[in-house]
Amino acid sequence: MRLACAIVLALTPFGALAEDYTEDEIVEIANDYGLDAAPLMLGGDPDYGAYLAGECTTCHQTSGSYDGIPVITGWDALFFKIAMHEYRAKQRENPVMQTIAARLGDEEIASLAAYFATLEE
Amino acid sequence: MTLNRRTFLGTAAAAGAALSAPMVKAQGTPRVVVIGGGAGGATAARYIAKDSKGAIDVTLIEPTRSYYTCFFSNLYLGGFKEMDELGHSYGGLAAGGVNVVHDWATGVDRDAKTVALAGGGRVPYDKLILSPGIDFVDGAVQGWDMSAQNAMPHAYKAGSQTELLKAQLMAMPEGGTFAMVAPPNPYRCPPGPYERVSMVAHYLKNNNPTAKIIVADPKGKFSKMALFQEGWNNHYAGMIDWIGSDFGGDVVEVDPAAMTVSIDGEVTKVDVCNVIPAMKAGMIAHAAGVTDGNWAPVNAADMSSKADADIHVLGDASQQGDMPKSGFSANSQAKVCANAVRGALTGSKVFPARFSNTCWSLIDTNDGVKVGATYEATEEKIAKVDGFISSTGETAEVREATYIESEGWYAGITADMFGAKA
Repeated sequence: MRLACAIVLALTPFGALAEDYTEDEIVEIANDYGLDAAPLMLGGDPDYGAYLAGECTTCHQTSGSYDGIPVITGWDALFFKIAMHEYRAKQRENPVMQTIAARLGDEEIASLAAYFATLEE
Repeated sequence: MTLNRRTFLGTAAAAGAALSAPMVKAQGTPRVVVIGGGAGGATAARYIAKDSKGAIDVTLIEPTRSYYTCFFSNLYLGGFKEMDELGHSYGGLAAGGVNVVHDWATGVDRDAKTVALAGGGRVPYDKLILSPGIDFVDGAVQGWDMSAQNAMPHAYKAGSQTELLKAQLMAMPEGGTFAMVAPPNPYRCPPGPYERVSMVAHYLKNNNPTAKIIVADPKGKFSKMALFQEGWNNHYAGMIDWIGSDFGGDVVEVDPAAMTVSIDGEVTKVDVCNVIPAMKAGMIAHAAGVTDGNWAPVNAADMSSKADADIHVLGDASQQGDMPKSGFSANSQAKVCANAVRGALTGSKVFPARFSNTCWSLIDTNDGVKVGATYEATEEKIAKVDGFISSTGETAEVREATYIESEGWYAGITADMFGAKA
């Protein structure tokens, strides 16, 4: 499934909604997390995500190795977006991530999610 | 003639930008030369080679075959890291397509666009990236010069100097005195001297508990001051005497032969003296003529030199605005620079600059603290957007989590600089 997702993203550089969820499912999940559903439905540009990811890869390893900072490669794009929106809303702890997320727009979060979903875990 | 050529390239670049399809590629594969294989240079070389996929010829000039990170070198002094753990080879960069040249860059001919090597020969470039780190300002501490670095090490470039300082620390007599002369702003790693004091105190508490630490500081305050002072009180009560500028810490003279330190006229015999002098951009930035005073002013949008559009300056050597001089900052700036250089040479998409930094420090076992911020490029400088800092009085669990996070960051940034460890 992850591979399929990567292929779809590779074929659609501006990230059409390459998700495995229906809109209704996303609305339901968004409610569970106390988040607005619309930003979670956005597709992202993996090229822009690759550039933005430079801000992540100082700490998070693209190899998927863990040495004290969580692995973020190969995540389902929807749950990547949820995590970032939670940090931005300060619903998730960690001042580094809250500060990084604070200046990311909805499309930037979607682009990061699209990019990291393409990396093998 | 050469001036015309530079002017022409500048105009072509400007025209290209206006059409938003820059293609100033000269004949053959464009050449990027990077001088300095630390957090700025290694990252820039790796990202340009990786993202250009062979469309740019990238050469990294770095004299040492093993790079020892200055960040985390204090943890070696405290006994939390081995020196081997701080060493990194350039094999991963070479495997990633970077032409790694182990030599000293001795000069830059900006008209001919070549870099001269100590070993002879010249390396031509279309874009030059300077990331030479720091050198010390001559005469910054009375009585000290580079010839005194064995008697009174700076240990502010990691490697043999750090090992020397550790050996001197371990050889201190019972109840002896460790002195530090701290640097004036701006300098590499603002919390670094104070993390070092913490790590020295940690070592002494366990091995030489009646020893003392004196810090002569030309500043009246310093990075994470409240956090360090709280930690020193909690862990090392009575051991550390910090003398700031309000109490004469800025009036210092050392005598490396006699092993004495004079602070505001009061002379003290010491067993170890760690002199961290005032700093300036590494030699090659001055040789290239892109410095103004001690540092190299740059444009925030792409880290290009204000003196030469085809030269970029990264990290500690640059004068960019609000970012602290840190490995994290250099790594962050390198990615913005790499994106801009690649765009200028191959026409790839250039995204707006964005920067971030976090500095972790260890005060004692599992007592980690951090400070960080995000930054943006303005016309004038790299400007701070938003930031955070650890609080005094945090729980042991929070402090331990912060330390674990710093370990993860070390693995992350070194993989980002050098490629994943083989």
